[in-house]
Amino acid sequence: MFNTARKINSPFALSYQNSWLLWFCQLMNISSLALEISTWMLAILALCLCWQALLINLKFNSNKLAKVSPVLLTLFAIGGCIAIAITAANLGVLISMVHLLTFAYVLKAFEIKRRKDFYQLLLLGLFLLAAALIFKQNLIFSFMLILVLVLNLMVLMLIFSPSKSLPSMAKTISILLIQSTVLAVVLFIVFPRLSPFWQVPSAKSAQTGLSDEVSPGDIANLALSNDLAFRVDFKGGQIPNYSKLYWRAMTLELYDGRKWTRANNIYRKAKETKPFKPETSGQAINYDIIVEPSFQSWLYGLAIAQSTDIQIKNSSDYTIQTRNIISQISHYEINSYLNTSLDLSIDDITKKRNLSIVQGSNPKLERLGRELKSKYVSPQERSNAILAMFRAEQYFYTLKPPLLTNNSLDQFFFNTQAGFCVHYASSYTYLMRAAGIPARVVTGYLGGEYNNTSNEPLSNTVKQQGGHLSVYQYDAHAWSEIWLEGIGWFRVDPTAAVDPERVESGWSSALLEQQSSLNNDFVDLYQLRNIAWLNALRLQLDALDYQWTRWVLGYSTKKQFDLLKRWFGKDIPWKVSAVVVGSLIIFMLLLNSLSRFSLWWFKAKQATPWLVLYNKLRLKLVNKGLKPTSNITPSSFALLVTEQLPFLSSDFAEFTRVFECLMYQDLSKKQQDELLLHLKNQYVKLKGKL
Amino acid sequence: MQNVIKNILIEIESIVLGKPNECRLAVACLLAKGHLLIEDLPGMGKTTLAHTLAETLNLSYQRTQFTSDLLPADVVGISIFNTDIKQFELHKGPIFNQVVLADEINRASPKTQSALLEAMEEKQVSIDGTTHLLPEPFFVIATQNPLFHAGTYPLPESQLDRFMMRISLGFPDVEAEKNILLSLSRDRTKAIENINSREDLLVMQQEIEKVHASEVIIEYIIALCHVSRGQTVKGFDNEAGNKILCRPLSPRAGKALLGAAKAWAFIDNRDFLKPDDIKAVFSSVCEHRLELSGHERGDNNSVSQQILQAVDVLNPLS
Repeated sequence: MFNTARKINSPFALSYQNSWLLWFCQLMNISSLALEISTWMLAILALCLCWQALLINLKFNSNKLAKVSPVLLTLFAIGGCIAIAITAANLGVLISMVHLLTFAYVLKAFEIKRRKDFYQLLLLGLFLLAAALIFKQNLIFSFMLILVLVLNLMVLMLIFSPSKSLPSMAKTISILLIQSTVLAVVLFIVFPRLSPFWQVPSAKSAQTGLSDEVSPGDIANLALSNDLAFRVDFKGGQIPNYSKLYWRAMTLELYDGRKWTRANNIYRKAKETKPFKPETSGQAINYDIIVEPSFQSWLYGLAIAQSTDIQIKNSSDYTIQTRNIISQISHYEINSYLNTSLDLSIDDITKKRNLSIVQGSNPKLERLGRELKSKYVSPQERSNAILAMFRAEQYFYTLKPPLLTNNSLDQFFFNTQAGFCVHYASSYTYLMRAAGIPARVVTGYLGGEYNNTSNEPLSNTVKQQGGHLSVYQYDAHAWSEIWLEGIGWFRVDPTAAVDPERVESGWSSALLEQQSSLNNDFVDLYQLRNIAWLNALRLQLDALDYQWTRWVLGYSTKKQFDLLKRWFGKDIPWKVSAVVVGSLIIFMLLLNSLSRFSLWWFKAKQATPWLVLYNKLRLKLVNKGLKPTSNITPSSFALLVTEQLPFLSSDFAEFTRVFECLMYQDLSKKQQDELLLHLKNQYVKLKGKL
Repeated sequence: MQNVIKNILIEIESIVLGKPNECRLAVACLLAKGHLLIEDLPGMGKTTLAHTLAETLNLSYQRTQFTSDLLPADVVGISIFNTDIKQFELHKGPIFNQVVLADEINRASPKTQSALLEAMEEKQVSIDGTTHLLPEPFFVIATQNPLFHAGTYPLPESQLDRFMMRISLGFPDVEAEKNILLSLSRDRTKAIENINSREDLLVMQQEIEKVHASEVIIEYIIALCHVSRGQTVKGFDNEAGNKILCRPLSPRAGKALLGAAKAWAFIDNRDFLKPDDIKAVFSSVCEHRLELSGHERGDNNSVSQQILQAVDVLNPLS
């Protein structure tokens, strides 16, 4: 104990090369979190790293004593902490903790004086890598993290056993990694997943995807994002046409003249008492959805979507929600009834809410609505008239619409006439309400990218089977639903009137070009799609990532439970607890035996074949009741055998003689082989006698 | 050559009755070019053994009784002025024999002891500035009384180390003693049959050096030395923890052990070493190097036995 303490506290200095390696390792560790860190903090980190680089240069290239005054460092640290504390309110707890961690990590490198400082720095680095996994877990990122992890391990190896050659170092590291992988896989499968004692705090800014209020201009931000929203697996069944893939997330029924919001509170009061269970008819299509963490509770489904999962609530507007926010990749199963009508009758409160407009907020539209009401009798005709207007006039679909003052729909409809889905859906819904037809805005996603790793796009004509559908954030969409007598809520997508291609088969190349010029992401979707092999590669990677998500990230507590249930039969609590205890014990034993096994293995590799044979036979004799000590010589043991097991006497004497020759005599290879053969024969003979 | 060895042993055993193992050890020591220290009570046959050994091997032999007033010159020799030729003339001491029996070596003063012991190591003596080589083979058999006897000067550790082996004869068993009393042993005065010639002995000594010691054997010897040096050995426990209370074995001790074991194997008509050879000679070769001074020798579980127990024969260095 004393010894280790002294070792840990022993002074520690790095060589020039190792200093740079450590520096590089730090850079890589920090860059794994770079996307989550705000710009000012990145600047500070970069400053610190440059400072360190300067120090390393000073120390080794010009024999000056390069030292940072502790006072300066302390002041700097305090300053940084204050800055983090100030911005914490905006950043949220988790992100500010990450800021603090990276800041501490960079500063720690300035004061490596003892061995323990170095240990701390490396451990902090590893912790940083683990923290990076909170935010992103997809395949490519995980793979890159493993590479950085290897880099960290290499630094450790290089510094503590500098004499090792690179291949032997690689060997040690890979052996370690393989061992830990085996362990990790076993633990991953059987180790009980206790619900965490603390929840990773989620910041408001961490929310991604749709928000529960929409004003014109909102979804455009999403349209620039190439992030994955969710994936759908139709389980080999037929995938509906692209134009039917309206993934409903939420309905927005309240309009305050600027933005659309959910009528959540009103629902709760009326319907909370009993769970909502919509009437369904017709054949259901069944599919699995794997959602990326959005830190919200919305789930996505087609038409009337139902889930048997108790964690999922069905709302009366036919949307589904989880009880908790989705903070990690989750997986749910949905049945959708595409041909069932939604709400054949609605109550007065609902009707009133879906007819309400803010008087005077958009007077021109209100007037137009009244005109339509008087001009056309049937609701469908009114709707068609509006859509015809969208088609006829100079409306066009753009991701970069001109700004509207106060989100005025009038201004959009009559003047600018350029916008995207939310603009069209909002103004259409508003017009329909003004024309006396209950209408609401629905947000969600449209379509998705079909991937069965063949390079065929999902089209209207070809029915696809197998594979999966990846829905990205840029597939976010808004449309309208109007309520018609005898039909129920009827989906109308005014965007279709403006840009039919968007609805029929996805983004047109003009839109893609627009998107790629607007966003500054690394992956340029537009260019990617135009280069065939790159696109194929992208689809392959997506398919791989899908499997990774499905089998590794999607291995939830429930799946684990199911697996264990399949192994152990009914879910009797004691069996489950036995599994828990058992897996704990197995884990301990595994850890223990792993070290022993490798030792044994190493030893066995060294032992000569005759020694192995001799030891085997000796063990058999010990089982017969002989008690040789370890310091007994072979000939004395032979005497012991003669004494106690006389029937073996002559054979064992011969065995011992040959063994002694092999063990101690100076023999040529040929003689050795001959004697070994003889020994083996003798061994078989003795084994038979035993 | 094996017959010669056999005959020597038979001859010696017919005179030193009931002590075949000790006789064999003594022969092995001689063959391995080492010196022999016989420690025992008076009248146990020490001198008989030494005398027989020399006679049997047909070597020149002289016995010196060490006393407290013995001077180095009495052992080594002295130059005396010869008035006839008016020159100093060297009178060689008893050390210029092939076999020197130094009886009761621990009765002499340290000064005299060291004169003998120096000669043993260097195989040469210097008298009045002239160096004289000692004859080949050169073999010292010293006897000593147990240390607790009155009037003894204990040999220092460094000088004990010069003896390859220390053996003690011990009391004969009933049968042997009966034969001794019935004078069945051959008369001392009766001429001992000369079996061996000097050349044969030298050839045998060369042969012994060729006896093969495999790596395992070398490791076994190293392991034994390690244990004596206090290095802990896996899987070994004695009452006092893992450490055995003793003086550490030097590399010279290791070399002596190897040489003696080879001679033992040669006597056994083998051209390779077995751990049994090491075990057979270990006690004799190492006990006097291991014992702490003033530490009384245990009878049944001596230090060398403890060390032997601590080492795994088949896997010595694990």
